[in-house]
Amino acid sequence: MLTGMLSVAANTFRETIRNKILYAILAFALFVIGMTTFLANLSFGDLARVVVDLGLASIHLFGVVMAVFIGITLVSQEIDRKTVYIILSKPVPRWEFVLGKALGLCATLGLITFFMAVVLYLVHAGYRYGQTTEPGIFVAAAGIYMELVLLTCLASFFSTFTTPVLSAIFTLSMFLIGHITRELLFFGGKSGSPAAAWLGKAIYYLLPNLEIFNFKNVAVYGLARSASLLLLPLAYMLSYCAAVLLLACVIFSRKDFK
Amino acid sequence: MTPPVPVITVENLSKSYPMGFWRKRVPVLSGLSFTVLPNEIVGFLGPNGAGKTTTIKILNHLAFPDSGRVTLFGEEAGKSPNLRRRIGFMPEQPYFYEYLTGREFLALCGRLCGMERDAIVARSREMFDRIGLAGAEDKAIRKYSKGMMQRLGLAQALLHDPELVILDEPMSGLDPMGRMEIRNVIRDLRAAGKTVFFSSHIVSDVEALCDRVIMILKGEKVAEDTVGELMGCEILYVEIVLSPSPPPAVLFGCGIPPEAVSVQGSAVVLRAPDVDEANRWVDLSRAAGARVCSLTPAKRHLEDVYVARVEAGRRDGNR
Repeated sequence: MLTGMLSVAANTFRETIRNKILYAILAFALFVIGMTTFLANLSFGDLARVVVDLGLASIHLFGVVMAVFIGITLVSQEIDRKTVYIILSKPVPRWEFVLGKALGLCATLGLITFFMAVVLYLVHAGYRYGQTTEPGIFVAAAGIYMELVLLTCLASFFSTFTTPVLSAIFTLSMFLIGHITRELLFFGGKSGSPAAAWLGKAIYYLLPNLEIFNFKNVAVYGLARSASLLLLPLAYMLSYCAAVLLLACVIFSRKDFK
Repeated sequence: MTPPVPVITVENLSKSYPMGFWRKRVPVLSGLSFTVLPNEIVGFLGPNGAGKTTTIKILNHLAFPDSGRVTLFGEEAGKSPNLRRRIGFMPEQPYFYEYLTGREFLALCGRLCGMERDAIVARSREMFDRIGLAGAEDKAIRKYSKGMMQRLGLAQALLHDPELVILDEPMSGLDPMGRMEIRNVIRDLRAAGKTVFFSSHIVSDVEALCDRVIMILKGEKVAEDTVGELMGCEILYVEIVLSPSPPPAVLFGCGIPPEAVSVQGSAVVLRAPDVDEANRWVDLSRAAGARVCSLTPAKRHLEDVYVARVEAGRRDGNR
């Protein structure tokens, strides 16, 4: 049962983990996280909070870069290189292939996000040597990870029917709009135009609300102490991903390979 | 006795693809029908762009027909993924995950086919030996040559011991030794009771291997028959080799036309237009003191049939 999906996922995990670009991005991310202590010294206020703030922003930014730029090639590269012919000629339903690809990348992103969070935690602990450490870093990193999973599913969805460049544009647009859906709803309502209000509502309800995963500020002020904070975002992420992946599976199952 | 259930049945298959800016549909296959019976080796011949690969993709559920029906082992193709467990497929110019080693790739294919770990290990070892990749198991695929990729493509198609093997241009890119090895593997498959359906435009390979041949042109079938029937029994000419032989001038004097005589080293070769003429020339040559070394009737090659059919098809299409 689901052997095909798990085999594809394991292979995708292996593919991404052996991807040299991933290590280049990761190395740069770790360098920036390491540099937060230096940057914090240039700032005012609670310097340890600046370390957490900058560190989480780095994890977020580099995570999004990895999710989008690996996610968009996830399916399209298999089609371009015709490796998909070998896989789909085996007894593997097409939906298992799509889910396996997304699952494999999510596993890689999970490992990398966790690794970056551990590094940030240690950097922060080193900065606050002898004082209390900040476990909220892991809560905020879990929120970031959920956002990355959602973006991966969106990138996989786009890559089932369009080119990598368009997939990147669509996914990055989703990322940008996803962080301002609440504002778009608010300003649409305040504009006085029924069309703008309708558009604001449509965007709010249809496009992903990525701010729901943002626990960075909560972690910076030491308020992200309970994993229960993550339950609602987790349910939101799972339902949104299920809907997006369902669409991706439907499109991919009807795809003709030229 | 009931006739055997065909392994492949293609009925009235049509397929078109949208092309160009306006996405106009261009037909690739038009009403193609054929069958492949159990334990046959069937060659699928046609020039580039004839629709061979599209047909093979439809058989493997990688493309969907506009109309028509495809059944494999009596079941509708693509209905159940489990049907694909009985089929081994090697695409044209196969490309694999280059970050994997050959062994890792076969392990992935085995898992996808639902094989047990021990069976994967044993069959992979057998496949590497059989297709001449022994020693390259742990080499990264990115370091494989084109011929090695082709062999690996065949290995993954045969790994799960399928009943039907579908190969798209299996000889393309192989050196003569490689082609011979692949031919031997295909013959072994028939000996083991398997059915092989392969596309090619290397006519000599099809002639050497196949029980039956299906020729297509512009998506339409132009011939389907046994190799023997297609080539026919007609004798095109008879070649007579004389050695030793009197000088050609003596043979001309006996009544053998000069245009039928050629000198090849110490031998003289006569090309008689038919068997009766060949018998007459043999008598004349021997009477002139020549010794007949060999007498070879030349029959049509499959290539001649293929070229004639393709040219006729093109002429019909241009009308």
